[in-house]
Amino acid sequence: MELYVVLKVIWAVLLGVLLTGLAVMVGMDMGVGTLLRFVGKTDKERRVALNIIGPHWDGNQVWFILGGGAIFAAFPTLYATSFSVFYVVMILLLFSMIMRPVAFEYRSKAGNSWRATWDWAFLISGAVPMIVYGAAFGNVMEGVGFHYSWTGQYFQDESFLGYLLNPFALICGVMSLSLSIAQGGTMLMLRGEEPIFGRARSAAIGGALVAAVLFAIGGVWVAHMNGFAFTAPVDPNMPASPLTGQTVAVQAGAWMHNYQSYPILWALPALGFVGMLGNLLMNAARKPAVAWWAGALAWVGVIFTVGASMFPFLMPSTTNPNQSLTVWNSIGSQYSLGWMLLFALVFTPAIIAYTSWCFYVMRGKVKVESITDDSHSY
Amino acid sequence: MSLIDPSVVELSRLQFALTALYHFIFVPLTLGMTFLIASMETVYVITGKEIYKEMTHFWAKLFGINFAIGVATGLTMEFEFGTNWSMYSHFVGDVFGTPLAIEGLMAFFMESTFIGLMFFGWDRLSRPAHLAVTWLTALGSNLSALWILIANGFMQNPQGASFDPDTMRMQFTSFLNLVFSQDAQAKFVHTSIAGFVTGALFVMGISSFYILTNRHKALAARSFRMAALFGVISSMAVVTLGDALGRLDYLVQPTKIAAIEGLWQDSNAHSSAAAAPWLVFALPDDAKQTNYAEIGVPYVLTPLITHSENTAVPGLISLEQQAGPRILNGIKALNALQQYGQDHDAAALATFKQYENDMGYGFLAQKNAPNQDLTQITPANQDAIVAQTEKDTIPNVFVTFWSFRIMMFLGFYFVILFAFASYYSLRNELEKHPLLLKAALWSIPLPVMACEFGWITAEAGRQPWSVYGWLPTFQSASSHPVGYMVFSLIGFALLYSAFIAAELYLMFKFARLGPQHHAEPSVGGTATMFGKPQLADKSWQ
Amino acid sequence: MGKLFKIVGLALTLALGVFLAVVAGDYGPWYFAWLVGTTMIVLIAAAGAVMFDTQETNSNGKV
Repeated sequence: MELYVVLKVIWAVLLGVLLTGLAVMVGMDMGVGTLLRFVGKTDKERRVALNIIGPHWDGNQVWFILGGGAIFAAFPTLYATSFSVFYVVMILLLFSMIMRPVAFEYRSKAGNSWRATWDWAFLISGAVPMIVYGAAFGNVMEGVGFHYSWTGQYFQDESFLGYLLNPFALICGVMSLSLSIAQGGTMLMLRGEEPIFGRARSAAIGGALVAAVLFAIGGVWVAHMNGFAFTAPVDPNMPASPLTGQTVAVQAGAWMHNYQSYPILWALPALGFVGMLGNLLMNAARKPAVAWWAGALAWVGVIFTVGASMFPFLMPSTTNPNQSLTVWNSIGSQYSLGWMLLFALVFTPAIIAYTSWCFYVMRGKVKVESITDDSHSY
Repeated sequence: MSLIDPSVVELSRLQFALTALYHFIFVPLTLGMTFLIASMETVYVITGKEIYKEMTHFWAKLFGINFAIGVATGLTMEFEFGTNWSMYSHFVGDVFGTPLAIEGLMAFFMESTFIGLMFFGWDRLSRPAHLAVTWLTALGSNLSALWILIANGFMQNPQGASFDPDTMRMQFTSFLNLVFSQDAQAKFVHTSIAGFVTGALFVMGISSFYILTNRHKALAARSFRMAALFGVISSMAVVTLGDALGRLDYLVQPTKIAAIEGLWQDSNAHSSAAAAPWLVFALPDDAKQTNYAEIGVPYVLTPLITHSENTAVPGLISLEQQAGPRILNGIKALNALQQYGQDHDAAALATFKQYENDMGYGFLAQKNAPNQDLTQITPANQDAIVAQTEKDTIPNVFVTFWSFRIMMFLGFYFVILFAFASYYSLRNELEKHPLLLKAALWSIPLPVMACEFGWITAEAGRQPWSVYGWLPTFQSASSHPVGYMVFSLIGFALLYSAFIAAELYLMFKFARLGPQHHAEPSVGGTATMFGKPQLADKSWQ
Repeated sequence: MGKLFKIVGLALTLALGVFLAVVAGDYGPWYFAWLVGTTMIVLIAAAGAVMFDTQETNSNGKV
């Protein structure tokens, strides 16, 4: 295989890894934000819940920022088109996301009504981004209306209502929210004590259950809905331009082709279910540490299930299927993919090492006294 | 084919400018204060004196209030390229996105992970370990700035990439050229050190407030000393780097430097290039292409810009005329490129290659062509289109001229302020100079202003380009309906106003309150500029 | 013998430092200036604080 094709495939996998890292780390914090008003009935309880992820939310959020940056660099045309086509929801996502850092830092620095306001901000900034995140996957699987002019400028062919009010996308959105609630609840159990522990436990169990049901419904839906497939062989080594080089058809059930060709891929949805059930059972058995890893595996299973059924499509176009974005035609140049791979190989182990160290240093249960004693706590 | 709507481009520019300038209210303070706090903690670890730990805690608290909004509004920036500048992202994402991705991997992860430990790890880490964490946070925030400014340096002076007709975008060709571009280097140092000045003046100003009101004096006098020394060197360095950037603009962005200096005619239009005046004051008129009420200092302009005695600096009018042939070439280049895109014709490719370096000027002409279509340019309408496009090749002179001057005058003011502050602090005579202390206090917002005007100079001066010489801003924007832009602009305005109100409320509250563990009663009846300290207010605990 | 090793080690570190400085000065003069300058700024600010403490001790001693 050509080096460029190898790099393209590596970066397609890394895209999945990034989206998974984002879902696991940010999703957990979002879950805590969504659950804040539920697990904490008093102000002190809410502060305990916030300080459980207090030292980590900022580092975790970088997965989100890195996701944006890496898609920008590795899949410039995908970044350029998807963020613009989904403008209205992207801006909503952004509005909800930017409340969160401010809410963490400001919430506990003034009086009661001030705090109550920020607690609502936590709910919005936890739930909305996770729904948008899942709904984006749903919309992409259904295909999006766009085409390009000869210069490479995209043009939108579909009203934003089409992807906002879309039952399949909503199922995906709620599923992603449920999974984040499961992970957030697990984290609260890990470092929280009663009564937070108990409330988080029931929320997490409910979240995992809903996620598993919606994952099953979504799977059946995908098997029957319109997918996209090449009608002529495509050169994976093609220059990365969506303007020429592909002929694509819309076919019902096309998203199952990869599973039919490579039955081993069924391991991915299986992993998703095992992860969700594992998370559920381990939380029921009050073992949140094991449950956390099961929840992370659930995300791996879910995201790679989507990736495996769509590969090599990334964002198909319903109005001009030949200009659908794929791994082959929306990716960066060989030179930049190579350099970024080098940086990723050097820095990812370092990131994992110091993030783990940070969690290790801050290990243990968070207590009310330790918060009121520390002038820096949230 | 749908057309690019000029009002959408203008609204996208407005949104990007507002969100970027807003983001940059908080960034410089982060860049500077992290290093200043790290210095304080270093003194604590070396000397073991508790007062320095208290200083570290107190300034870190104010820093945290600021940092939160910096992070939040930074998210907007990462998204806005994709949401509002789709064509730009597609056209240069391969090279421009790379430093942004590396920024995440190398710098932002480091800064954000360690800042958690910096705030929460005091009781869980040994002193040297905590000090290391603080230093890594400081380093991380500045490395972050490094990669962002490498990306911006590419927009100012595109190095390390070339256009590829097969993918219709600029592709990355040299990592070293991108990273070691002169523009990126000078920009990074100038911006980072401008942050040092901002952080130093913030600490010095609030310390002055405590000295004036006779509170927290042990903390205030020490903080003042450190900040004054930190600031005096930084402010001198910032001016030096500003000069280096000006010279770079002269070499690679002639229209920007001419606009900065309000130079309509070539500098040798005077008796000689050497005699050309540097304008202290003028009212540039963009429509008439001339200045009113000029006050200049002769014999300064040429050595200042060219670092030589008698080299002529081209004026805006002749720069416009020089663009004419490039526009014609650019039209040929783009028409050939469109042809090549359709049939991969070798002759079309050869034509394109011949005029490739002027293709950006073809994009500029597209805006003025009938139906924004270059193929509809005929010998009959060609001259009018080229003449109109020539006018588009220079930036707005009034804005560039004055934003540069405000930044520069402020820069020199900081050097003087810090010099006096250092002198009197070293002699321990601060209390004899309340005027200096008041000046320091009231100057807290000025470095932020200088930073903002610096960015306006850099970005407004680069117009009409988003990537100098290659891609005009007009072509870079996403093709949104106006309604989308109204929706997002209103949302940003509401959210960002709420944020700044909350930030100022907390900042004033905690600055008035002072360090918590060392609360001294305030001297009754002292006139304070922030109102009365509220020591009874413990609601944050 | 141990001293000799220390001296050789120091000399090698110094040589490496000079080498890096020359390379950095060639390719990234301003980056290099930032490294040196920031270190200097921090050291001078820290020295100023230590000096403040000394001044305070001295003036207290006189009183």
